[in-house]
Amino acid sequence: MKDVHMPNDVELITIPGNWNFDYRYFAGETASRFFAELKNSRRIMGTRCGKCRRLLVPARTFCEACYVETVSWEPVGEEGTLEVFTIVAAAFPGMPPPPFVIGYVTLDGADTSIANFIKGVDLSDIHAAGKSLLSRPRVRTVFSAEVQGRITDFHFELI
Amino acid sequence: MNARPVYLHGAATSVGWGDSRRSLTDMIFATVTDALRQSDAHMDAVDSVVIAAHDLIDGRSLSSMVTAPAAGSYLKDEMRVDEDGLVAASFAAARIEAGEARLSVVAAWGRASEGAPDSVSRVGFDPAFEKPLGLQELDISAVRLSAWLARYGDPGDSRAAATAARSMRAGRSPRALRVPSRDSVLAYPLRQAEGPKWADIVVAMIIGAAPSPVRVGGVGHATDLPRPGERDLVGMPALRQSAEMALRGSARGIDSIDLFEIDGMTLVEEALALESLGLAAPGHAFEHYALAENVNRAGGSAAAWCYPAMGLMRLAECFHQLSGTAGATQLDTAPRRAMAIGSSPLGAQTHTAVVLERA
Amino acid sequence: MSRRAAVVGVGQTQYRRRHSGRNTAELVREAVTAALTDAQMDLDAIGLVVGGVAPDALAGIDHVDMGSIARPGIPYFRVNTGGATGSSAFLAGLTWIAAGRCDAVLVVAVERMGHAVTAPKVFNSIFDPIYERDISLSTLSMVALRATMMIQKYGYTLEQWAHLAARNSELSLLNDTLESPRRFSAGDVLSSGVISWPIHKLEIGPVSEGACAMVIAAENRVGSRPAAWIRGASGLSDTYEMGSRISRAEGALVDVVTLRRCAAQAYRDAGVVDPAKEVDMVEIHAACASSESMGYAPLGICAPADGPRFLDSIVDGTARIAVNPSAGAQAANPVSATAMIRIAECALQIRGRAGRRQVDGIRLAVATGQGGATQFSTAVVLGAEPS
Ligand SMILES: [Zn+2]
Repeated sequence: MKDVHMPNDVELITIPGNWNFDYRYFAGETASRFFAELKNSRRIMGTRCGKCRRLLVPARTFCEACYVETVSWEPVGEEGTLEVFTIVAAAFPGMPPPPFVIGYVTLDGADTSIANFIKGVDLSDIHAAGKSLLSRPRVRTVFSAEVQGRITDFHFELI
Repeated sequence: MNARPVYLHGAATSVGWGDSRRSLTDMIFATVTDALRQSDAHMDAVDSVVIAAHDLIDGRSLSSMVTAPAAGSYLKDEMRVDEDGLVAASFAAARIEAGEARLSVVAAWGRASEGAPDSVSRVGFDPAFEKPLGLQELDISAVRLSAWLARYGDPGDSRAAATAARSMRAGRSPRALRVPSRDSVLAYPLRQAEGPKWADIVVAMIIGAAPSPVRVGGVGHATDLPRPGERDLVGMPALRQSAEMALRGSARGIDSIDLFEIDGMTLVEEALALESLGLAAPGHAFEHYALAENVNRAGGSAAAWCYPAMGLMRLAECFHQLSGTAGATQLDTAPRRAMAIGSSPLGAQTHTAVVLERA
Repeated sequence: MSRRAAVVGVGQTQYRRRHSGRNTAELVREAVTAALTDAQMDLDAIGLVVGGVAPDALAGIDHVDMGSIARPGIPYFRVNTGGATGSSAFLAGLTWIAAGRCDAVLVVAVERMGHAVTAPKVFNSIFDPIYERDISLSTLSMVALRATMMIQKYGYTLEQWAHLAARNSELSLLNDTLESPRRFSAGDVLSSGVISWPIHKLEIGPVSEGACAMVIAAENRVGSRPAAWIRGASGLSDTYEMGSRISRAEGALVDVVTLRRCAAQAYRDAGVVDPAKEVDMVEIHAACASSESMGYAPLGICAPADGPRFLDSIVDGTARIAVNPSAGAQAANPVSATAMIRIAECALQIRGRAGRRQVDGIRLAVATGQGGATQFSTAVVLGAEPS
């Protein structure tokens, strides 16, 4: 902008701002039961689609692929396979201190994978840890001592 | 160039408040499923999904990532407009006019009980010039009303009469929220009963190329100046322009419209729209609103309100009236032609108008 | 497509970390003015403006488009499909023309993510709040999860991605839309530190602000204007659930079923039978080297098992197809605009207006867009001839 009244060295202003809106997400009956099973029975449940017959884990009200309501509840095994993962090695605001492992695990009996933290991995050498996890290792569900009906009530550990 | 005609096959509306039995995606799935059932349609035949959703209303920073599959987007052509739901309907119709789709789901929602839409509206104001004043969306309605009052003076009992008519119509509507929800703090000169009835709303419609008794007659879009202070808040020119454009598309005049379903956040927008459209003489908006049987039959924002579902909810009301399925709000003589008008934040900067007609 | 249309104008601001000197409307105005000038058109000729802005939270202003992109007197709406926003806006504008609603559309995308002091928090808040947000997922960990699968399934190596990132950094020096291109070697990438294994810091596109605008015209309005004809355009959406896609019958997570299918549809519309032989250039929307390589096979420019070899051929310069001659999103990633820039770059190349990054003989080009949990895909095929 060329304007004789505009000094060349005008200080560029930044105005601080912060969005902080509160929400209360209704988990609904299906996820509420899933969390209740975690908390009360320390087991992971899926719901089965009557059309494609997949057992969806975590439990879903409806199958996104078939667009029909799921028909039954079934527990899955405590053990499973770590399909894909990443080792978060840098610090980000609002996240746990690095390094930590996130992965998707197909629990025995399930047809889909569930995301959670993978703990108990030796992360002293990130590259060595990464290479060792590429083999799709078996993992076991471990529940926290304190359960509150949230997805963080459990995590996975290598067997 | 002849666009292919677009027909409406069915509509479903869910209205509630804080029902913890259902997640947002559960609500969307149930409502779209209901709309398919009303339309005798199956999701397998749907080849287009168009949704209107807003990230901050939904509390999901990229809402459609989590919510679109609940509307049936799985391995389908899907578009999310970050606009009022009537824009989604217009866009879905364009897909069909273009021959790009044959059967489309249109869905829009807003779940006021999960978040804080009043607070969210504050961050839509310019951070340098407007936001520091602490304005919210509803304050624009108050300013609009005060501008109208300054121009035409106190309308006497007609404001109260319009409010009473609105609330009576909402009371009759099968698609109104009947439990207490949340009250907004309304700025002077707005009165509490003129404000919106916050609600959890999902609206779904099925539209397509196959003939049905109700078709789209015309579509119009118009845009106003960005800053509320620069606009003619009383005249609402974008509303009039969008309606004119929709009427041009249908090659008929406004006299041919038997029913108007107009979205406004408060009674003020709903009533002043009648002056903008030329249905009410200048200064007589509230009088006309109170007496007109063919305006906002379902009670407008007094029945249930949450951005960005409202334009689609108005279109669904038009559809119900035209197909004789409106229930207790059904006009004695089913209308032949109806117009739905939707608007976007802030203070209705853009308007969309859709004319529906019996085929 | 029922009505032929072409890109006749492209306008871009420079892409830089922060445009502290200009507000959003000023950025948009620069891109729009450039696009209209390039198209030799006035705003009066425009029948629709489509705005592309992804998460509002990145700009920290709700509906930042309303005061910057929307034009009084012209129909306007905004599209938001996350990372695919820019290409979705393009497809939406194209639909308007195909429907006969108007003859010329202006599509505009703008990114103000420099406003976001804690962008990673925003990128976590996109995930499902009920089952997944608490697991600290982010857009970057989504890329990394896929990268581990690409190593498992196709044998990609971290070194290959480092070489690809270095190759793209070399190209970025030719792109005059980048204010400060970064040049680095594969060694630099490998020693830049792991952010989310197997992703290194230097493979990741930088935070960028800027605006991109394009004019799309129906055939009757193209006239003698230099045109990039839209030969095919398609978009497809998928389930959100990554855990349902890992080894699905339709294709594995990293086979990007949506991209493969919408590219196939766009090729069919364009009359392209063998993309590996017919396509001259691709612009793949990918903020990281690994996700760029995830796009090759779905676009049909190499067989799935040949991905790593194809990557090597890009790095050593023997690939027949020009891949990301703009240097791609790894050089600038203004989230709302990135997918539109891919189309804009193809249009510039076809119209011979790509400046120092111009590649000779580009007559058929493909641009991709990716958004959500790699869940929204778009493919646009542009050609020098209408059909
Ligand atoms: Zn199923």
